[in-house]
Amino acid sequence: MVNDKIIHRSSFRTLASLVLTSVIFFSSFGASAQDGEKLFKQNCAACHVATDKTVVGPGLKGISERAPSEQWIIDWVKNPDALIASGDAYANKIKDFSPAAMTAFGFMSDEEIIAIIAYVNSYAPPVADVPVVDAGAVDAGAASETSDEGILLNVLVGIAGLLLVLIFVLSGVRRSLTQLVSEKEGKKAPEELGVLASIVHWLNTHRGWAGVILLVGTLAFLQWGTKELMNIGVSQGYKPTQPIAFSHKIHAGQNGINCVYCHTSAEKGKTAGIPSLNVCMNCHSYVDKGPTGTAEIAKIYAALDYNPSTREYGDAPTPVEWVRVHNLPDLSYFNHSQHVVVGKIECQQCHGAVEEMGVAEQFSPLTMGWCVDCHRTTSVQVANNEYYEDLHERTPAWHDGNPVTVERIGGLECAKCHY
Amino acid sequence: MSKTKKYWTGLDQLHNTPEFQESAGNEFAPGVAGTDLTGKNLLESENLDEGSTKRRDFLKFLGFSVGAATLAACEAPVNKAIPYLNKPEEITPGVPNYYASTFFDGTDYASILVKTREGRPIKVVGNKKSKLTGGALNARVNSSVLGLYDSARSTGPMKGGEATDWATVDKEVGAALAKLGEDGGSIVILTETIISPSTKKAIAEFAVKYGAGVKHVTYDALSASGSLEANLLCFGVKALPVYDFAAADVVVSFGADFIAGFPNGAANAVGYGKMRDPKSGMSRHFQFESNMSLAGSNADVRVALKPSESTAAIISLYNKVAAATGGNTLSGGTSEYDATIAKAAKELVAAKGKGIVVSNSNDAGVQTVVNAINNLLGNYGTTLNMANPLYIKGGVDAEMNQLVADMKDGKVGALLIHGVNPSYSYAKAADFNAGLAKVGLTVSFADRLDETAGAGVTYLAPDNHYLESWNDSEPQAGSYSLTQPTIQPLFDTRQFQESLLKWTGNDSDYFSYIKANWAGIHTSSPDAGLLFSNFFNTALFNGVFESGTVGVTPAFVGDVAAAAGAIKKVPAGEFELELYVKAGMGDGSQANNPWLQELPDPISRVTWDNYITMSPKQMQELGFSRLERGDFMANVAELTVNGSAIKVPVYPSPGQKYGTVGLAVGYGRTAAGKCGNEVGVNAFALSSGSFAVGAVIVSNTGAEHEIAQTQSHHTLMGRDSILKETTLEEYKHNPKSGNPDLMLYVSSAGNSAGHGDSHGGGHGEEGHAEAAHEEHASPFLPASEVNLWDDHAINSGHRWGMSIDLNKCIGCGACVTGCGSENNVPVVGKEEVRRGRDMHWLRIDRYYSSDMDEERAEAEGVGAIDKFTLMEAAAEAPQVAYQPVMCQHCNHAPCETVCPVAATTHSDEGLNMMTYNRCIGTRYCANNCPYKVRRFNWFQYHNGSKDFSKNPANDDLGRMVLNPDVVVRDRGVMEKCSFCVQGIQAAKLAAKKAGRKVANEEVQSACAEACPTNAIVFGDLNDKESWVAANAKDERSYHLLEEVGVQPNVLYMTKVRNVEENEA
Repeated sequence: MVNDKIIHRSSFRTLASLVLTSVIFFSSFGASAQDGEKLFKQNCAACHVATDKTVVGPGLKGISERAPSEQWIIDWVKNPDALIASGDAYANKIKDFSPAAMTAFGFMSDEEIIAIIAYVNSYAPPVADVPVVDAGAVDAGAASETSDEGILLNVLVGIAGLLLVLIFVLSGVRRSLTQLVSEKEGKKAPEELGVLASIVHWLNTHRGWAGVILLVGTLAFLQWGTKELMNIGVSQGYKPTQPIAFSHKIHAGQNGINCVYCHTSAEKGKTAGIPSLNVCMNCHSYVDKGPTGTAEIAKIYAALDYNPSTREYGDAPTPVEWVRVHNLPDLSYFNHSQHVVVGKIECQQCHGAVEEMGVAEQFSPLTMGWCVDCHRTTSVQVANNEYYEDLHERTPAWHDGNPVTVERIGGLECAKCHY
Repeated sequence: MSKTKKYWTGLDQLHNTPEFQESAGNEFAPGVAGTDLTGKNLLESENLDEGSTKRRDFLKFLGFSVGAATLAACEAPVNKAIPYLNKPEEITPGVPNYYASTFFDGTDYASILVKTREGRPIKVVGNKKSKLTGGALNARVNSSVLGLYDSARSTGPMKGGEATDWATVDKEVGAALAKLGEDGGSIVILTETIISPSTKKAIAEFAVKYGAGVKHVTYDALSASGSLEANLLCFGVKALPVYDFAAADVVVSFGADFIAGFPNGAANAVGYGKMRDPKSGMSRHFQFESNMSLAGSNADVRVALKPSESTAAIISLYNKVAAATGGNTLSGGTSEYDATIAKAAKELVAAKGKGIVVSNSNDAGVQTVVNAINNLLGNYGTTLNMANPLYIKGGVDAEMNQLVADMKDGKVGALLIHGVNPSYSYAKAADFNAGLAKVGLTVSFADRLDETAGAGVTYLAPDNHYLESWNDSEPQAGSYSLTQPTIQPLFDTRQFQESLLKWTGNDSDYFSYIKANWAGIHTSSPDAGLLFSNFFNTALFNGVFESGTVGVTPAFVGDVAAAAGAIKKVPAGEFELELYVKAGMGDGSQANNPWLQELPDPISRVTWDNYITMSPKQMQELGFSRLERGDFMANVAELTVNGSAIKVPVYPSPGQKYGTVGLAVGYGRTAAGKCGNEVGVNAFALSSGSFAVGAVIVSNTGAEHEIAQTQSHHTLMGRDSILKETTLEEYKHNPKSGNPDLMLYVSSAGNSAGHGDSHGGGHGEEGHAEAAHEEHASPFLPASEVNLWDDHAINSGHRWGMSIDLNKCIGCGACVTGCGSENNVPVVGKEEVRRGRDMHWLRIDRYYSSDMDEERAEAEGVGAIDKFTLMEAAAEAPQVAYQPVMCQHCNHAPCETVCPVAATTHSDEGLNMMTYNRCIGTRYCANNCPYKVRRFNWFQYHNGSKDFSKNPANDDLGRMVLNPDVVVRDRGVMEKCSFCVQGIQAAKLAAKKAGRKVANEEVQSACAEACPTNAIVFGDLNDKESWVAANAKDERSYHLLEEVGVQPNVLYMTKVRNVEENEA
């Protein structure tokens, strides 16, 4: 009985998925220019662009005018080798355009290829659409924030100044009035005291208040001093200018590139790793223009001694000297893979919203206190890891039902990071 | 009476002159004290203000500099990060790579794994895939990585001592060789033993190109010529046998230090270690020798004899074995030591086919007799492998002597010298140098301007370091290994083989050449079915390739009687000299390696020196200081050999045969570099083709020489909780023999009076189990239960621990250099070692037995003070024991409780953690450590400190050897063994990432990894499957100084001697 039910249910699922698939299948017949863009990006964009620029293959602008016929394009895309072998004149003319031969896209339907051609023909460079968020803009944003604070400070200082002047004026008025009164009463004018002397006089006569002021002042100074001292060597917010104005906002944010696509060793070793330039060239071998122009990307080419027009590498590369943002002292050992792979911590937890940073900056203080705070509160993922399960079984103290934090597995011990 | 007496200091005081009265009021006499740096007297009032530094100025400067320094320190430096332009696929920054490779320098062969970080070799460990070596390596091999970063290496080719370029060298040498080839002139290639099939082929091709005049002469500084000749006569094979000590129940060695200085010593140690387990099997080891060697110190029965008596002893053994097995006896075979020899012979015969007889003699006759003994016993084919023999020694002395004669006669047109340094290591170096001047073309491939290259060699074509080279080897017939480069050549050097190929007119690189040559090995191997690239890459990955070819054991055809008659006599005399090879220094080719120089000699515990070893008794008779004063000053003797005399310090060596002296080779280099030059004397100059030199004259010059030794107490002085030992007989009877539970007296309540009586004589606080269990309300408790501290939760989670089997520890020192290499342990130099400031995290204490003990003192009525004085003196024929001591990682660590800043703390995993960045250098911890394993950084040993220029971390090149995972400690900081916590963390992380338990193999401390005999075992004591947990349960396991109650995580295992009652 139970089995029947299950079979029923699963056959229903099969049916449902069949229907769904066919809906998707049929709907794909109506491929339009909208899908053309998607198809182009999925299949063609690795080698071609829709402008007249050559990447790996030729730029596709004007493809309909150049090619003998639309059918020729369809045949070429589906199986270029066959077309060349058939002795087609135009195919043989273009076959040696690039050392990399055109890939065969036999799985594409005629409609899809037509949709791509339509997209290419209707393509207009999105001038107004460019996301203008570059290093400069972010800097400007930071600067305007700073100036806001500056205005506030100026206003406060101004008010304080006004009040001081007021005090002086009023006390002068009071003094002359007192003098007038005493003259009128025929008394001898009290001895004229200077400002400083009068403050000293006041303090002498109001010992209690003086003590309170002294105490408050000392405490404030100590608190300020401790805070300042504790911040020595803490570079939170450190945002140095880099030799190439690389923007994480564009790469990780707008283009949604995964962090470990570039920072590969974050899952393998102790450093997250600054990507080598060959990783940049995976994309920038044909993306040679960014929102701010070609200048920044040209720096990659210069470093690699790469000539984008001949697509050849020279023999005089010069490495890029990035300014290191996160500087952990040599005396502490930190391993990214421990935190990323074992701890399954998101990069953003320590590095902040990098995908919104125009210029990379240090988000966390990276102090020992900060490390320890996290180790005190973070629980270890014991389940589904034989290492921890074995250790858990061997450690009766962890069986009390409370979460097993990093602290409880020894995460605060000196030799976990210092050796 | 005394009141009336008057004392005066001078007549002025006596007369109490006014001048005296005035001056008596002043603290200092005028002009004596109180001058400033410019010499002005500050006490004279008019000068007080003129001093160059006024007090207030001083305070101002002080304040300013403190403030300025503080402010300056607040500024964070801008660090640059420079990624690869094109990252090599196999490199992940921070993750080490291991490459299989091979070390061979003519003395030591080892299949190794090279650990590299970011393309930089930093450590050498053994390759367990090698059948020949079993992954064993000695101190020289694991220190060899430092040789790569030796600043004394030549940075490029030279001509006549001036730098030149390779094109010039190729052109000029090529032209000279071509001319000699045309004229049929003599071209000699002088090399160390070549075990590389490809190099042999390259030499053969070179010979074809330059005609019949080309000759290849092999020269070994540590010659095995006698054995090779004997084996050629006896078996028709010019090679050495491969010994299988793991199959040997009885080992009889005549002077052969088969676990250290002998060819393939480290591999022999693996087998030897396997037969030092009282559970699975204990070999019986007889050693007949004059110097106390490493093998001798481990022997069960050791007989000290003079070099001149050795031959008679060997013939005596032959006769006794022959008599028992039906062979022909020889004449003249009686020896003073016949009683022991008879016992050895009896046991050898009883263990037929399971014994090894081995000798260090370089006389073919002696070696033939030794071969004959092994043959009579049927040891060939079982414990001695001549079917697939060992090729790592190939030099025949006569050939070298002939070459030197030819050179002196002007018969040699060209001499190409590779891998050897005869101007240093050849006995008649002066003759060689004189001959060198008469050779037309001289080329050295040395890596530096060594003694030979500097002795008038025209061209220096420096070879790559082996870690920069390709090579192949066939150390044993049918067993191959590959050497692969782990770094680009650091300097403008070129591999010897490539130079040879170039001059042969072959422009291919040596790697392609090897591959082409291996095609032949491939087709004749069982893997011929594989693609060649698969075959080669697998061999490269494994480092070794076994062809599987099993040879046939050749029949023994030696003429023993003739050989015995031809034995050259070692001249007897008042003193006989025997040269020896130190476990650390070897033949001196690595003399510029400071790790090896600072490695204490296993026996003498002396660093940075060689010296005459002499019997303490004889030293006393001759008036030599026995270094008992504590100032470590040795007397210098004049040693006269064949009319030539050298001056060398004398050091006491208990166990040295009376009337003999020993002297280590490998020292006295003059052109090795800053660490090796002028250290000790060159003993090679005293050898006469044989290391058993015979009659010499020793006289005391009375001069003194500074000795840097790391152990000043040589015996245990009656203490019984440090090193425990028993005999095999007793062990079989009671596995806990020698290791009874230590009971501590904890209460005066109960019937303690009775115990007080039985444990009188100052031992009232200690008792033993037998006594304690007699009564119920015993005031004695096992030491493990006596506690001052609260317990850690030691039975949960990980608990890292170590077991050290004293029975397997042979004292070789591989662990010490392995530890130093892993943990960036600094080299401090001779002066600092003399001050007791050596920095080794791991020391190997060596203890001699003493003739005096409690019972004897009581029987002979020796007083307490005399008793302990005598206990301190080693016996004349002492037993020796080694005990490696590192931080014991106490669960109740006394160091932790006294640190005022909590810089040393305990971890949940049983580690005693040392946090350098917290340490303020009070040294309380070191004072409170019962094991004295903490080391203090008295100075800045790194970063260009000119007093410590010998420390590798002091120059940019040497710093490349540092392990980036371990902090380089600064001045004023305490350090100690960390149990290689970086390795533990790495192993744990790998296990966590893979979601599995930590495996035994992956978490190994550097010392355990380096130990050839597996004496040191590391692991998790709480893991039931770990090796160390199994050892911890063994009856032999105990804690060092258990009575102090610190509950260490290091366990020692009782030493078991395979001796009979009367031998002990």
